[in-house]
Amino acid sequence: MNVEEQIREIVAKITHVDKSIITRGSTFKEIKADSLDVVQALVAVEETFGIEIPDEEAQKFQNFGDFVSYVENRVAQEEKV
Amino acid sequence: MSFEGKLALVTGSGRGIGRAIALKLASQGADIIVNFFRRRETAEQTAKEIQALGVKAEVIRANVGDPAKVDEIFDTIGNKFGHLDILINNAASGVGRPVLDIDVKAWEWTMDINARACLLCAQGAAKLMEGRGGKIVSLSSLGSFLVWPTYAIVGVSKAALEALTRYLAIELAPRGICVNAVAASFVETEALKFYFDEGLNEDNLPVTPVGRMVTTEDVANVVAFLCSEEAFMIRGQTIIVDGGFSVSSPLFSLKKKD
Repeated sequence: MNVEEQIREIVAKITHVDKSIITRGSTFKEIKADSLDVVQALVAVEETFGIEIPDEEAQKFQNFGDFVSYVENRVAQEEKV
Repeated sequence: MSFEGKLALVTGSGRGIGRAIALKLASQGADIIVNFFRRRETAEQTAKEIQALGVKAEVIRANVGDPAKVDEIFDTIGNKFGHLDILINNAASGVGRPVLDIDVKAWEWTMDINARACLLCAQGAAKLMEGRGGKIVSLSSLGSFLVWPTYAIVGVSKAALEALTRYLAIELAPRGICVNAVAASFVETEALKFYFDEGLNEDNLPVTPVGRMVTTEDVANVVAFLCSEEAFMIRGQTIIVDGGFSVSSPLFSLKKKD
């Protein structure tokens, strides 16, 4: 499973929505994710990928795609190191 | 009041009240462990300001709502320093909802961070305070007994924190550990803005009979006092820092006839 699929699974589990409705363009509001869901998703993703996503960065995410892209970049950087 | 040579852990001390407490204790000579969860930048900044005061600062990231992470905090302190003198249970979170909209997830999240973490941190701290005594101060809120809109879960968690403070104070007294709490009214922090979506302005600014809001420094001063030897005989209490807000009658806010 690639990074995007793993994050989609995590977010779907936390927000109790069908993962098929989560696209890269979906906003957190459209996924019905409240602020607690977002924090819990961030924490779960951090633990899954062994990275830290500070709030300063997370606040820039406009949609699911931004979240995925950020994590993909971070994971790629970690792999280089 | 000097904390020279003492080591203090302040949970949630990257910003707000925790930051003010960390800086206050550091200004009196304490080395500080700055704990944060979501904002590394602010925690690193607090640590820099502490170091500028000539004491040591260590930054530890951990969600205190997660028991495994709490264990990690105390393992790290134990391995690196071998002891702890002061624990400030300040980290808090919450979900602002009317009671009928509270679900299990929001309840558990809030209670785990605001109440259970105080127990787990006290347990971890007590081991590192063995044979040297110590001070534990937890941050409560007037919302533990006053009802504010959408504040139910946090209010309940703070009531639990205050009850826990009494039990800890009695059971840890034979170990030479002083345990108390501080409850502040509205303090101008980011957390307060969270509960006032429309923002604070002159019309809704919750002033006190003193004529101004409580500052983070007002709270830090009282916390520091409770950590001092001068407060040795205060045990299991929740000290209110609210400029008289909670004891003033609403009659005082009525406009006088000209």
